[in-house]
Amino acid sequence: MGSSLVLFGFFYFGTVKSELNRVDQNITAELKELESLYAEEGPIAVEREVFLRSASGEGLYYFQHLNKFTGNLAQLPISEDSMQVRFGFLRGNERDLYRRVEAIYSIADEEDSGLRDRRMRGILGPLRIGDNTEISGQLLVGRDVEVAMRNAVRVKNTILISAAISLALGLLSGFLVSRRFSSRVEEFNRLATDIRKGHLDRRASRNHSGDELDLLAEHLNDMLDHIDRLMKAMRYAGDSIAHDLRSPLTRLRTRLESAAVDMKDDDPSANVLFAAADDAGELLKTFDSVLRIARLEAGERRELLKELDPKPILDDIAELYEPACEDAGLSFSAHIEKDHVLAADRGLLSQAVSNLVENAIKYTPHGGEVQLSLEHDKMGRSQIIILDNGPGIPATERQRVKERFVRLDESRTKKGSGLGLALVDAIADLHRAEFILGDGISNAQSKNGLSASIIFPRVRKRRQKEDAQGDDVIQPSAALLD
Amino acid sequence: MRILIVEDDTVAADYVRKGLMEAGHVVDLAADGDLGLEMARAADYDALVLDRMLPKRDGLDLLKVLRDDGDKTPVLILSALGEVDHKVEGLRAGGDDYLAKPYSFTELLARVEAIGRRSDPNAAVTKLTVGELEMDLLARTVRREGQNILLQPREFRLLECLMRNAGRVVTRTMLLEKVWDYHFDPQTNVIDVHISRLRGKIDKEFETPLLHTVRGAGYRLQV
Repeated sequence: MGSSLVLFGFFYFGTVKSELNRVDQNITAELKELESLYAEEGPIAVEREVFLRSASGEGLYYFQHLNKFTGNLAQLPISEDSMQVRFGFLRGNERDLYRRVEAIYSIADEEDSGLRDRRMRGILGPLRIGDNTEISGQLLVGRDVEVAMRNAVRVKNTILISAAISLALGLLSGFLVSRRFSSRVEEFNRLATDIRKGHLDRRASRNHSGDELDLLAEHLNDMLDHIDRLMKAMRYAGDSIAHDLRSPLTRLRTRLESAAVDMKDDDPSANVLFAAADDAGELLKTFDSVLRIARLEAGERRELLKELDPKPILDDIAELYEPACEDAGLSFSAHIEKDHVLAADRGLLSQAVSNLVENAIKYTPHGGEVQLSLEHDKMGRSQIIILDNGPGIPATERQRVKERFVRLDESRTKKGSGLGLALVDAIADLHRAEFILGDGISNAQSKNGLSASIIFPRVRKRRQKEDAQGDDVIQPSAALLD
Repeated sequence: MRILIVEDDTVAADYVRKGLMEAGHVVDLAADGDLGLEMARAADYDALVLDRMLPKRDGLDLLKVLRDDGDKTPVLILSALGEVDHKVEGLRAGGDDYLAKPYSFTELLARVEAIGRRSDPNAAVTKLTVGELEMDLLARTVRREGQNILLQPREFRLLECLMRNAGRVVTRTMLLEKVWDYHFDPQTNVIDVHISRLRGKIDKEFETPLLHTVRGAGYRLQV
């Protein structure tokens, strides 16, 4: 935009201004010529010269000597505020005597004998005879600049119109380019979101134009390919380790178990062997959880999500843990609403909720309270909440405890691998659900307690009915029981 | 029972064989899929323990060939791939049960004996009896020594599972799978709590306990 304005400006000065400058030079030269003629040969010579030149038509003249006027201009078209002309060779108040004249004069039109107004430009200067200081006359030399001025207007209009057009084009193309740009950037953002969610197979689309965004897409894709290869290699390595380490661990446990079984029941070393077998089992479980989380994070099982009613699943969990709560001296209550639909995997959902309920049971002291509920949040999404009035988790630690092997209980007195919440987080992530830790039940006796909620994205209503029917088919055992 | 183990990990297979033989079973070993298929066809086994990943012939492929032949021998599939979808795949291919590595031997033993029993012709009974304890599967009632025992639906299923496997060890994992349909191990003693409630109903007021805890393994219902 700026460059085109500069270009137009340059064009304007190159044509119009230089034309006017040339006119000014001619005028100045002629004025000087006639001035010296006046000084040397007197007013008669100038008068004759002006008369002749007026008739030839190119210039405009007004010559006044005493009370005598000659020239093709009828009067001095001059006003008080007209500009002074500064000639380099003049000094002092001499300068004030020269005036630039830009005026409109009338000329008889040859065709319809009317008068036409035309623009002129000239310089008015004083005249002296010989070396006299007294001014005895004045002379205006001018030129008709109507054509040049019209050109100037035309050029100016052209420039303005071109500027407007180029501005409009610039805005339009800028808009189009930026829209295209932002839509492509938007695509990158979508890609990044998808990748983060575990769709490692997604790639940026390319237009092969070789522009910066296309190059960026190429580099992104290369990078993703590389990451994908690394992930596969890692997963392969993980699986191999799982395979290779699980077998000897399993054998270890089996040996310990069979040695323990072989002993007489009252042999005290049998207990040691069973404890050792349990430890081996614990190791295997931890290993299993690590692999499970890794698989979940890779999003391998996302395609298994089905729309289902979470109520029977949560009822089952409540039924499973209610006695355990009672045994631990906790009061357990469940508030599970009907008519929710989630896109979920039954097994994973059960595992996540079961982990959270177990956590609540594990950390809430005797006499405490554990609640399991399913309800709609303010935005109408389904959320599963597990509440307790145990010690809770400080707000600053709530993000960190979702990481693997992070345990708040630094002394590690409670049994556990530090994988429970990481597993829940991975399961929530696979369901595109949010896993949020917050304040639980607060009352006089306990501190804040903990609330753990899994908030599921909304499922389109259209399919609710079909799925409710499908669910009955999936769970015939529930019907058998009633 | 006569059991065939098809497993390429000979060290693991040896332990399993030793354990099963100690439990009173006759055990044959096959180290690859082709040999396994040949042996399964040649002799009449009561149960097959089949590793999924085998040299020469994949475990699921072997199973498919057997089932296509009309062979109904109960099969327990073993695999390092512990995820539920693999399990579903295995069961769909005609397996009777699925056990993910790493498994404990007691788990394997309990499951092999459970599927071996399933082929009994009396598996489709409507009444189960263990000593003085009777369960009517149609009326959904339980009696011991003529006394009616009221059970919650879940307790009923728990007892049913134990009675169907009477005299055999049923592990906690098996109970979670068969009674609750959960395929993960809870960290807490949640099953023990349910068992103790059941025990309170079927054993507490009677002289001889029927429901026994088997240390390091699970539970057994036995006179």
